[in-house]
Parts: sequence; C-alpha cells; structure tokens
Amino acid sequence: MACNDYKLSRRAMMGATSASILGFSIRDLLAYSGKDHEAKAEHVILFWNGGGMSHIDTWDPKPGRPTQGEFSPINTSAPGVQISEIFPKLSKQMHNAALIRSIAGTQGAHGRASYNLQTSYLPGPNLRHPGVGSVVVHELDNNSDLPPYITISGQAPRASYLGQKCEAYYVAAPGEKDPYLAFPSGISQVRGDRRLEQLAKFNQRFLDKKNDTRLTSTQTSIEDAVRLMRSPALEAFELDKVDSTTLERYGDTNFGRGALMAKRLVEKGVRFVQVNRGGFDTHSNNFPAMSNHGEVMDPALASLVEDLSESGMLEKTMVIMLSEFGRTPRINDNAGRDHWASVFSCFMAGGGIKGGQVIGSSDEDGAMPKDRPVEVADIHATMCHAMGIDHEKEVMTPLLRPMKLVDNGSPVMELFS
Amino acid sequence: MVRLCILSLASVFMLASTTQAETIDSVLSSENQSLGVAKASVGIVDDMAFIRRASVDLIGRIPTVEELKEYQNWPAQTRRDQLVDKLIEHPRFADRWTVFFADLLRLRSNVTGGSALIAHVHRNIRDDVPYNEFAATLISTNGKAGRSPEVGFILGDNADPLAMASVTSQVFMGVRIGCAQCHDHPFDVWTRKDFYSVAAYFGKTRRYESNFTRVVYTSEGEQTTVLWPPEDEAEESERKAMVPSFPFELIGAKEQPEFIARYEALLQKKADALAAKDNSPSLDDLFAEADGKVEAATGNGISVAVAEAREEINKIDVKASLYKRSEYREQLAQQITSPRNRLFAESFVNRIWHDLVGRGFVEPVDDFREDNPPSHPQTLSYIADEFVANGYSFKQLVKSIVQSDVYQQKQVPLGSNELVQEELEAAFLATPMRRMLSESLYDSIVTAGHLFDLKYRQGENERIIEQEVRVLLAADGEPQDLASADVQDLAGNPQQMTNQGMAMENGGGAGYTLEDAIELDFDALLKDEDEVELDVMVAKSQEELEAERMQMENQRRPRVGMKYETKIVQRTVDDNPRFSSALRMATPAPVGHFVRVFGQTSRNDLGEARDDNPSMRQSLMMLNGRLTHEASRVGTLEPVSKYLIGGKPQIEKAIELAYHEILTRNPTAEELAWAKEMIQEAKTPSDGMADLRWVMLNSNEFRFLP
Repeated sequence: MACNDYKLSRRAMMGATSASILGFSIRDLLAYSGKDHEAKAEHVILFWNGGGMSHIDTWDPKPGRPTQGEFSPINTSAPGVQISEIFPKLSKQMHNAALIRSIAGTQGAHGRASYNLQTSYLPGPNLRHPGVGSVVVHELDNNSDLPPYITISGQAPRASYLGQKCEAYYVAAPGEKDPYLAFPSGISQVRGDRRLEQLAKFNQRFLDKKNDTRLTSTQTSIEDAVRLMRSPALEAFELDKVDSTTLERYGDTNFGRGALMAKRLVEKGVRFVQVNRGGFDTHSNNFPAMSNHGEVMDPALASLVEDLSESGMLEKTMVIMLSEFGRTPRINDNAGRDHWASVFSCFMAGGGIKGGQVIGSSDEDGAMPKDRPVEVADIHATMCHAMGIDHEKEVMTPLLRPMKLVDNGSPVMELFS
Repeated sequence: MVRLCILSLASVFMLASTTQAETIDSVLSSENQSLGVAKASVGIVDDMAFIRRASVDLIGRIPTVEELKEYQNWPAQTRRDQLVDKLIEHPRFADRWTVFFADLLRLRSNVTGGSALIAHVHRNIRDDVPYNEFAATLISTNGKAGRSPEVGFILGDNADPLAMASVTSQVFMGVRIGCAQCHDHPFDVWTRKDFYSVAAYFGKTRRYESNFTRVVYTSEGEQTTVLWPPEDEAEESERKAMVPSFPFELIGAKEQPEFIARYEALLQKKADALAAKDNSPSLDDLFAEADGKVEAATGNGISVAVAEAREEINKIDVKASLYKRSEYREQLAQQITSPRNRLFAESFVNRIWHDLVGRGFVEPVDDFREDNPPSHPQTLSYIADEFVANGYSFKQLVKSIVQSDVYQQKQVPLGSNELVQEELEAAFLATPMRRMLSESLYDSIVTAGHLFDLKYRQGENERIIEQEVRVLLAADGEPQDLASADVQDLAGNPQQMTNQGMAMENGGGAGYTLEDAIELDFDALLKDEDEVELDVMVAKSQEELEAERMQMENQRRPRVGMKYETKIVQRTVDDNPRFSSALRMATPAPVGHFVRVFGQTSRNDLGEARDDNPSMRQSLMMLNGRLTHEASRVGTLEPVSKYLIGGKPQIEKAIELAYHEILTRNPTAEELAWAKEMIQEAKTPSDGMADLRWVMLNSNEFRFLP
C-alpha cells in the first residue's frame, strides 16, 4: 500500500491485507526474485478518446478500398508503416511508436465499451471494477509530492474496491488554477501558515485527551496536503510559465495543454496521467470531424513523443491512446461511420516498447482481425507487464471476493524488444 | 383542554419508549455478563456532548446556540428525552435519514424515477410509514416512473431479475445470496438454485419504454425470463421456467411468539380505529349521489355529463391495467416483510444500531449468515421484537436506541491500549470514535458559519473579480463593444456581460462548484404530474456528456474566419454567500464533490460502504475550500460581531460564543488564553476571530462526534 500512515477502517483492512505477502508487495518479491528485469516503465500517460475513434481514419488506413473515405495514407519515419494524413507531424515520430491493429473488441455500446476498455472487465450487476490507473497506483509506490494519479479534462474511472487512495486527482481544465492548492484569496501566506500552526496545536491538545489512531491519520492527511501545497513540483500544473513556443508546438487547445501538462507531471514523478477528450462519436460528417481531431491531436502527440524521446523520459514512460471501439468500414448515408467493435487499433510508445512496429492486422476493409488478434484485457496486461505489475494478482473486494487486477489477458510480448 | 390531552398522551408515549431504552440496557448488560465481559461501562457523556451527538445523528447538523440555550433551560431530569422528542419531529429528521435510506437503497437522482423515489422515501420517513409497508411497496409495485415513485427501486436495476434477487435479499434481509448467482455460496448454505428461485419472483416483470413519449414503466409479461438450469449449465432447449420459492426460514405458522401477538393486536387496533373514523363515501356512493343530484336538477334519468364522468373513470381503469400487478412480487414482499421473517427486522435494526452506536451486532451489516453470528443475539432479538410489536415504527426504533445508555456512552478513556479499546467497544461499553457523515459535516460547517442565511448587509461585501474571457474580434480585427460581443469563458461557454452582480451561488465560476449543494424540491417531485424533471444538477448520461464535450471542443476551436482575443474583464460581485443543505442534494453528488470526498458512495454498487478514512483531498478541501473560508469569516449580521466591531471589543465573550457555536462546549481556561493571544496577534479582532474559527472548523474535534 502506498500510504502506511493512514489507519484503515476494518473493511478496507480486509481488502488490503491480501494485497501483500508479509508486508512485501508482489512487485518487491518479484524484484527480489529478479523476475521484473523487463519492467522499464515507471509512468503511463493514457489518452482516453471518448465516443469511439475511427481506426480506419487514424492508425489503420485501407488505401484503394471503398472504406478508405476522404483521407490518404502517408508514409512515416517507420519504414513500411503508413498512417492517416491527419497526422503529418506524428508521422515523423512513428519510429518511436508502435501500433496494434488487431484489437478484437466485444462491446459496441458506449457505456459498456468504455467500462471494458478502461477496466479490462465487463460491467456486472453487483460490483464496479477499478480503472487501470487505480490498479497501477495501488501497486506502485508514490515517489512524488504530487498525487500519483491525475486525470485531466474529464473524470477517470473510480478506484472502487482499491480505495480512496487510488482515486484520480482531478484537474478540470489544464492551465486553469486549482483553487484547492493554495489558501483562499485574501489569506496571505503568513496568515495561512499561522493558521496551520495553530491547527496543529489545537489537534494535539485534542489528541492528548483522546487517544485514537484515527485522529493521527487525519493529521497525516493534513501534512500530506500541506506538503503538496508547498511543493515546488506544483509548478507542473502552471502552464503560464511555459514559453509560448512550446505551448504553440503542442497546440493551443485543451488537448495540447493536457498533453503538455501530462509531460510535466510525469517528469515530477506522477505515476499515471489520464488525458480525456471526446467528440469521436462521428455518426455523421465523419471526415471533417476527424480532420479537426487531427489538427488538435497531431501537434500534441508528436511534440510529446518527441520531447520525451529527447529527454530520455520515453524509455520509462508509456504513452498510450485508447478509445471505446472503432468505427464501421461502411460509410453511412450521413457521411458518418457507426460503432464497430470487431476490430480496432491503438497507439503506444515508450516504456520499453520497441518503436516502429505494427502488431497484428485487420482484413482488407478493416472489418475483422486478420492475424494476431489482441483481446481488450491484453492491453491492460501489457501495461502492467511494462510496469512490473503482476496482472494476475488477486485483491479482495469488500465482500471478500477475490478479483484479479486485470481480467485475465496476456501481455503482448512482441511489443517489447 | 385539548392541549392538555395531547401533552399527557405524549408523556405516555415517552414513558413507553424510555422503558424500552432501559430494557435495551438491561438486556445488553445481562448478555454481557453471560458472555463473561468483566469490564463496566465507561459512563455516559455530559449534557453538552449529548445535544451535539444527538443533533448530528438525528437531524444532520450541530445544534445552534439558541437550541443549546433552550435545552439547558429544560429541567435536568427530562432534558435529554425532551430533546430527542423534538429532534425526531424536526423537519430535518427526514432529510437526515433520507441519506441513510439513499445509501441503503442506492437512490440516485440520475436513474429513471430516481428523484421521485428519493422524495417518496423522504415523505415516508417524515410520516413514519411502517417500515414493512414501505419495503413491501418497493418490492412489489408496478407502474410508471415518477408517478408511482416506488417503482424507481426496481428501475434502479432496470428490473433485471438476477440483480433484483441480490438486491432485495441483501438490502432487506442482510443476506448476500448474490454470491450464489455464479456458484454455490462459498461460506454459506445458499445454492445457485436458491438464488434462481428468488430471481424467479421478478421473472415476469418487464421494464417498458414508450417509443413515443419515452415514458418508462414496469408491468408483468406472460412468460418468465428466469430459466433453470442457468445458461452455462445446460442447453437452451433443456432450460425450463423457474418456479419462484422463498429459501429463507420463517417462524412456523403454529408458533405464536408474544411479539407477533402484540403486533397483530396493534394492527387490529389500527383497523378498528380506521373503521370507526371512516365515513368517507365509496365510489358507488359517489355515483349514486351524482346521479341523484343530476336527476334532481334535470328531472331526467342519467344525464350525458354523468355518462361522460363514468367513461372517464373507466378510462382510468383501462390505464391502470397497463401496469399489471405483479402477483409474484406481492408474494415475495409478503414473505420478506412478514413478522415471521426474523431477518427482515433484525437486519434493519442492526443497520440502525450500526449507524447510531458505531458498530453493528453483525458486521458487515449486510452479511447475516450462520458462521457470522451476532455479537449479542439476545439484545438484537429484543430490539427487533419491539420494532415489530411497535408496528415497524422507524421513529420509535431510533428513539429507543438514542435514549439508551449504550448510545450515550463516552469514548474509551485516555491511556487505553488498542486491545482494551476493542474489548470495550465490542461489548458496547464505550462508543467508538465516529466521524460525521459527509452531508452532516457539510451542514454543520454551514450552521456554525451562519451560512444558511445571509450574514452581510446588501452591498457591504462587494468585491471586484477578474476573469479571463475570449472575445470575438470584428471582421476588421478590432475589438467589439464587450456588451454586444460574442464572449465566452475559457471553457467556451457563452457569457452574459453585465456590470450587475452575477446571479450565482457561492461565487460559481471561481472553480468552487465542488462545494455547491443545490437542493432538490421534494414536494415538487411528488406532484401528481406526468413528467418529473430536474432543472438543476441533472446527472447526465454518457451520450449527453459526449455531446457536450463535442460542442465544447467545437466552440473552443476558432471558427473559420473569426478571430478571438483573450481579455481580462472585471466584474463587481456582491459576495454575500449562502449555502444550502447537502442532505437534500441530488445524489450521488458529482465525483470530487465535498460530500463524495468525505465518503458518500457512488450508490452504484450493492453493499458499497462509506469510506470514512481521511485523505489528502479532504484536507485540501477543508484547508483551502470556500465553505470553511466563508464559514470562518465574521459577518456583520452575526451575533458575534457585536463583541468585535465598534466600541470596546469583548474578546472573551466572543471566544466563548465561538466555542458554543462551533464545538458546543465551553472553552477551558487554557484555551481561552490561547484563543485570546491568537486574536490579539491578528490585524483586527474580526480577522483573529476568523482565524480561530477556521482552526476549530478544521479540527478533529469538530468532525468527530463527542
């Protein structure tokens, strides 16, 4: 567990005890046994594209087929790998990135599919499964003053039975001030600090009268909060200090700022950053919509991969873009594409992934997997593998039902060289 | 004369319930003896602590200074009983316990019929509708979402028979039969077949949605959807309709325990009273009367008007048959809520006990099974029997527990180690440290800070705020007049530019929406209207959110041929904040909201318990949030301001008042000196008082019950 200073309620305790063996996390044990030498990734940046992004118009073009639509494929810096023309800048970074083109999804409705893609599980009646970000921060220690799991421009899935500590810290709009990270307006630093000092005294007097471990853990949470408020790492949130050339390279959009903030956060040690974006449910006018998406995503993704690669951070940072499903090979009467789960693609880079390669393929129209089908849970298993997390480890739910961190699945080993 | 009558009646009831509380104590203490518990109770709390504990538990906020004074003026002998009586009839009692039922029943404003169901629950608590009747209607009603609010319960799980089998067993009987959905229960007697036989009660119920009007309702189909054996065990052709049956044990029909006799006598008495009072005419009488009147007026036989009226009434009947009654579910409701079903009363009593005393006889509260027996079976069974015999009166149950010594116990004394603490708390000889419910914590801060009402005079607290906006440039690239230009905030939302104070709750737009509590209007939700709609805080579907995101993204991107520039504009705001009650908020609150951060669940998962552990997020919200900040500031309309502003400040009086208002106790001499020093160090006495109040509101003592 990441925070041993907090006393847990009985219920949470029952869940927690099984998460480790004799106080060592599985990761530690694996490390001692030398089994996790492959684990290179320490951070994940997950781009979550709500609505279901067209695979054909992005990562899996089908030149010469009727399904191709309005975009042409372009060559990339990875020999033999073509992507859609909506990513001109990113095409120059593909030697750093890998694509999976044969994800065989099973869910074609938004709610169920996003649940599946974000948790690896299918929704059931009595239990909500945690998102993969919660799984990662549940398993790995927090090495930063900042919260280990941060979600930008949208909500991340709940941590559910992994507990409050594994919930994502929410940043509504990147670059906008988070009012909770500083004293309220009108309270100077000196006055605020004096208040904190008096609060500690007051709480100590109470503690002298009532000894209860729950009171000390509240004090710990205050100290954690104050450490965050005073942390120099907070500057990662402050985009107004970034020079304008950099901002422009990423694109002056929510998404661009989100990608830039994600980079700054992982540099400060944050384990898992999720950047959310919607607007991919292109039932009509698919092509202008996707062209706009390209304009927004291309500079951000390309600059992120480039910068991480140059600084060496890419080696230990997995960048991955997921969506709910793909879209129909058939272009409908409204020039749109509808939901298509049978096959779709995803973009990955860094964290030990060998760049320039493509895993699997879809058939000639992008309708079904042709070779090397990858299951949805394989993606989560892959992320865990990259981070040295045993994806088959079981944790206990509050109802004492053992649940695997990932719903089976096996890592896509070819990704790692 | 009439008044006297009511008074004496009330005192008879009070006596009855006091006796019950005393019996709880004596049953528990003899049971402790037989369990070999050697220790004695740590003693009960003082009067001040009692009013704080009881107010937070029963009405979801700390007492005001006026309430404290009134209480202290009551005779010491009857003070606590009088308070409990008052609190139970307080309008906030139903608000507070709606939160309890909302957790239990997973009430959500954002599911079909959800808001109406919340309002319905609220009204049932207020009117003390017998719990068995309340539960039975939830289990068995078919009808239209909103109009038959009870149906919101089954619609919450989309009328899925398998889900409903788990839900009804776990919620109303504390039994986790849901585990037997996929496999025979690992630690219990339940088999998959048992599970399917419960699910079969829901097998014919369907959720319908009109393609036309989008109206959602439930009714009964002809065929059951619950088949046996389960899908994974047999071929489709081998699977047969499952016959419903009730696998839980009931007290045999031949036995007639004393509490059932008393319950039946009570029912009889109620029925007699009703019959004696009931002079209201039947439908036939009304027809006869109407016919008579018309005849008298026209001198003819039945008129056209009456025929039309009859037709109307027939139409209503036709409409009613749209929502067919569910015979299966009525049978199930009868079995579950029968006085012969021990689990029904015991699991409910255990939940209430857990909430008020801090620990259930059975833990977790929804896991009754043979190898997880209650810690004090006799005490549990005594309270459950009385609950049944009292006609399942929720208020009576709460009252008897709160009046008992067990409820009023102190926490373990200083220096007790964890083992001693566990021993005392497990035997109910000391009260565990309990944090306020998140909603009660919120409302207590609002109460302590006088934020339910305005605390400044109009215009006294005007403030200029700066906001960054995007302004559309005219075609020539020149900025337009702000009043007529297309102005958006940075999120792309259109902004009305006026110089008057913005109509906003709690300085909305300043990033503090996670602390807003916009109340539901329970009465409006129960109006007999066809559609129940929520204007505010409607939780949005995935698709709506998606559409919004799309729209936002489109707005943010500069439109072709249009140029924007970012400008800083100033607005004057009359910053006179007011907060509403979190008890009446649409639920669940948005993720990250104050009440969520302090433990309100998503109300999505069955058996999801409130997390009462501290977290960094909670501290950030309390240390830097707007609620604590505004509650700390001293308003000129507040009582304390007369000690601080104008004339010679009376600091000691001000400190004493702050302790009463915030912590419901007197300051010690040491604290008085400490607080005085703190206030003297500040720029002004009001600033110093704000600092003191901020410290107290943030303290452990404030959020944990005494």
